[in-house]
Amino acid sequence: MMTLLSFERELAPLYKELEGKTGLEKKELKNVIEERLKVIYKSLTPYNIVEVARHPDRPQTLDYIKELLTNFVEIKGDRISGEDRSIIAGIGKFNGLSLTVIGSNKGHTIIERLKSNSGMIGPSGFRKIARAVDIASNTFKTPILTFIDTPGARVSPETEKEGSVAALSEPIKAFLRAKVPVLSVVIGEGGSLGALSLLVSDRILMLSYSYLSVISPEVGASVLFKDRSMKKDIAKASKITSEELLSFNVINGIIEEPFTGAHRNPELTIQTVKEALQKEFELLLKEPSGNLLKRRVEKFEKFKI
Amino acid sequence: MDIFKRKNRIYVPVITEEIAKETLIRCSSCGRLISYKDLKNNLNVCLYCGHHFRMSIQERINLLTDTDTFKAINSDIEPLDVLNFYDGAYYKNQLAKVRQETGLNSALITGKAKIDGVDVAIGAFSFEFIGGSLGFTEGEKIVKLFTYAKKNQLPVVVKFSSGGERIQEGVFSMLQIVRIIQAVDEFREIGGLFISLLTNPVYGGASAIGMLGQFVFAEKDTMIGLTSPRITQLAFGMNFSRELQSAEKLLENGFLDGVFERKDLKSTISKVLKIYTNRSLI
Repeated sequence: MMTLLSFERELAPLYKELEGKTGLEKKELKNVIEERLKVIYKSLTPYNIVEVARHPDRPQTLDYIKELLTNFVEIKGDRISGEDRSIIAGIGKFNGLSLTVIGSNKGHTIIERLKSNSGMIGPSGFRKIARAVDIASNTFKTPILTFIDTPGARVSPETEKEGSVAALSEPIKAFLRAKVPVLSVVIGEGGSLGALSLLVSDRILMLSYSYLSVISPEVGASVLFKDRSMKKDIAKASKITSEELLSFNVINGIIEEPFTGAHRNPELTIQTVKEALQKEFELLLKEPSGNLLKRRVEKFEKFKI
Repeated sequence: MDIFKRKNRIYVPVITEEIAKETLIRCSSCGRLISYKDLKNNLNVCLYCGHHFRMSIQERINLLTDTDTFKAINSDIEPLDVLNFYDGAYYKNQLAKVRQETGLNSALITGKAKIDGVDVAIGAFSFEFIGGSLGFTEGEKIVKLFTYAKKNQLPVVVKFSSGGERIQEGVFSMLQIVRIIQAVDEFREIGGLFISLLTNPVYGGASAIGMLGQFVFAEKDTMIGLTSPRITQLAFGMNFSRELQSAEKLLENGFLDGVFERKDLKSTISKVLKIYTNRSLI
């Protein structure tokens, strides 16, 4: 059975019942569940959206790469301290277009999550991003596509020793110099400085149930209230949903997920993202890349008073 | 994104004139009693164990710059509450209160000054202003400081003490980091010198910016990192030793150019400045 989120738990008995049903009865019950879900999803709170964004069955960077790219060759390692599996980077073809893809990847299973540190980026990950941007900008001269799905930067004894504080600015600097079009898509969690390392782009899109925040609601609640349980209030106060950020002109567009969440229909979600990407690249590739870089710098300069 | 506190939980005593003038202060490190006067005369450093207490922004400016040479610039830029942030209390009201209490408009003061006779563009974070956190105003002022320094060909000195991004300004506070990195990059490209001075504490995005200087110095007893051990514990239930984020450890791991006692900060910075300004260009 699918993992039910806190606000979907009332449907657990129905899902259980569904397992025993067949044929018409199954179809009818499915429709009942669907209708109930539609009502529930009509009034999600910002923290509910965070929960959807974290659903383990949601399509992740590696799923998009697998479905959307051919001839994918991975860029691994930062050439200094190691290979950070929270970041997946590489070159490949998207609909005949040569691309460089860089994304944070969380992993679906516990084993995958352990390998990728649940998508929390450490110093070698930050440096790997910068290396991939450099290759894209100076060698292949291909557009860059970033997928953002990270709870944030990794905090651990190892990352502190290796110097996250010094590595953090590397990807930002690299994107601010990249002479190629850059497109970012927030596909799940857009957590703090981890998300920022893949966000400095020409156009930013968000999936409808993704979030982008300066701080994860749990950490925010710990800082402001010394109490994790205030996370819902922080999620609401911080304006982290795609709709709110579109209204602030921080992002350029929203990719609509299946109404009851990407995790209920990953194939359809990936297909919708594909169509959105095609449109975006058509627009971006019309523009001389010198203009793009200048405008990218100006855009981030605009986030001021 | 750290440390600023709603219910003043305090590690080191915050010394206000009225309360402290006639009292003895207990050192939070060695536990001994010190008179307020002795502590002030010793740059807020414990006479017995050498523990460095926090300094007010005015004391900092006095410590680092030549007497009466500091002239503030852009101090009239007002803070902004774009998100209309409300988490049980209005950020607007918090801003009004802290502005009244500190007499500052933001967590960062910037200006020009002389350090041992050398003209510099200088910035200093005030931890008293919402944990020295980084928002719109602070981002704007750093960018303007580097633009000013570029135009006037001055070296830049920034004293950091910041909990990180200002949560109450949401994603906009995070986006300031991008602007600042760009401004520092443009400044460094024309050969500008940026000396970064880290004082307790420097966390989150502020640490990323603090590391951008060609020289990065830290004061003794400074904690530097992504998230403080306390927040890491609260938020992730994970424990790690405070020592890992000590300036001494960062020095050992190759991220700082030096850790100095308070009394030696100005002379160290001044040495770098003098070599920089008196060099014959090749």
